[in-house]
Amino acid sequence: MKRLLWLSLLICVVSLLACAHSGGLTKPASYGYKVNIPEGWRKIDNNRYLLLTKENPFQQYILVQNRPIGKSFRHTKKKMHTTMLPEEAAQIVVDELISDQNLLNLKLLNNTPLNISGYDGFKILYTYQDGEGHTFKTLYYGFIKADTFFNLRFTAADRFHFQRDIDAFRLMLKSLEIVKAKKT
Amino acid sequence: MNIRRSKLFLFPIGLLLLASATGCSTHSKPQISRVAESLLESEAEQMLWEKSEREQRTLESNGLVYADPQFEGYLNQVVARLMPETVPANLVIRVKVIKSPYLNAFAYPNGMIYIHSGLLARMDSEAQLAAVLAHEMAHCIQRHALRAFRKYRNQPAYLIAVQQTLLKTKGLQKLAHAMGVTGAMAAISGYTRELEAEADRIGFEWVLRAGYNPKAALSLFDQMLSDLAADGLEEPFFFGSHPRIRQRAENLQNLPEPAMIDTLASNNDRQAFLAKLDQLLIDNARLDIRLGRFQVARTSVEKFLSIKPDDTRAYFLLGEIHRQRGQRSDVQTAIGYYSRAIRLDPSFAAPHKAIGLIHYKKGQHDLAKKFFESCLQLSPDSPDKAYIKGYLKQCTISEES
Repeated sequence: MKRLLWLSLLICVVSLLACAHSGGLTKPASYGYKVNIPEGWRKIDNNRYLLLTKENPFQQYILVQNRPIGKSFRHTKKKMHTTMLPEEAAQIVVDELISDQNLLNLKLLNNTPLNISGYDGFKILYTYQDGEGHTFKTLYYGFIKADTFFNLRFTAADRFHFQRDIDAFRLMLKSLEIVKAKKT
Repeated sequence: MNIRRSKLFLFPIGLLLLASATGCSTHSKPQISRVAESLLESEAEQMLWEKSEREQRTLESNGLVYADPQFEGYLNQVVARLMPETVPANLVIRVKVIKSPYLNAFAYPNGMIYIHSGLLARMDSEAQLAAVLAHEMAHCIQRHALRAFRKYRNQPAYLIAVQQTLLKTKGLQKLAHAMGVTGAMAAISGYTRELEAEADRIGFEWVLRAGYNPKAALSLFDQMLSDLAADGLEEPFFFGSHPRIRQRAENLQNLPEPAMIDTLASNNDRQAFLAKLDQLLIDNARLDIRLGRFQVARTSVEKFLSIKPDDTRAYFLLGEIHRQRGQRSDVQTAIGYYSRAIRLDPSFAAPHKAIGLIHYKKGQHDLAKKFFESCLQLSPDSPDKAYIKGYLKQCTISEES
């Protein structure tokens, strides 16, 4: 029962972080993706994004999302668009993170341009604390392809799990392949 | 490593249990004497105060409070001027500012008043500030929290519902946790219509006696309503709700017109008041820009410019508002503001980069290159230097081709 409660709470918090709920009706993303799931990691069922963990999501998780660029974020009213530079897209993500008061003492450690699977994008590294003072670190990759904003992020406890599991995330990132989305 | 986030999420459940326990304890005394009832009430008030202090400690330890002792001192001077003659001896009214662009002010029963930077940035005069503070002071001095507690002590579900409203609201979970139940009730739902009307009536008297125009708050309410409509803002707080603001405005309109209203005009000195707000206007504008609330951000910056017409940061922010708004017609206006910022302070790197970006996106790579280079010269260790170097590289490729 307790485990079930934890899981439902986790789904809530990840949904917040994934910025997947808010906003009005938008067209579904035109592009999807393929990735190789790292060995030993398991999928947490979700039909909106790919959520993976090795032990449990409070220790580490990988989240992959393809969202239509017109979709609203939870906090900022700013929207992405097709002609945006990677830096401008990164700025919206940073604005969204800073406006999210769930992420206590958020520190932006790095925000740099990066080519991700052949697409111009960005990489953001930040830390934040939860309500109990535990520090988490997130590596966030993002890029825009046509009308789709792709983002892949790895979040883990900063003390130990981040360094231990980051290579699995990097390996998965290398396998990323963008494909035309299936029409539903 | 065992990471336990459960407490964070089980917090509302804990509150429910706590509130249920409070409810149960009142049920267990069916034949209570008047003296005992009075003692119980005193205990209840003590409990409310202790709870308030705990909630305030959490609020302040999360870095939500705006640290400006000088401005805080000013707010407390206004409170001192409004203070009625008879106040319970142990009640000390204090005011602090919360860094939040949302419209709100709320009071804890122990006399601590919190006012959001977003509400302050909307104000134009000390009289408006006085009206908001007097209303909150009336809640404390008239012990409205205790009266509400009496009403709701057998309805813990109500209190939980109030806090959960805040917990569900985007971006405000941290504030909701920090406020706790007492703060959430004061901040979101307000008190009953009768208690709010009483706070308006009593606050009106104190404002008038202190020499302010009590009707000055009407224009603040109008401004808030038009801001909420203009930017399509949705806010969860008492002051961010159309019906609540209208109710407050109606309460004020129904109070008698002060006889000596002309002599009170001197307290309506806009410029002197804005000079007190000073940096808060710019800081709050930055929060609104992050949220994409460009119109309200622009109003704050323009207010700031009315007191500091040569401030380079303010012109830069106006440029940012126009550039980030992303409308084609805004681009030239943005360049105009950035250029003015550069004229005022040629060593300020940020507007150089912003102009560079505009030219870069237009494909004017020669012009863009010039501004990116000047930006890097002025700020070689800028955190965004990797992006700028990327743009410069692209400009060079474009030149060569």
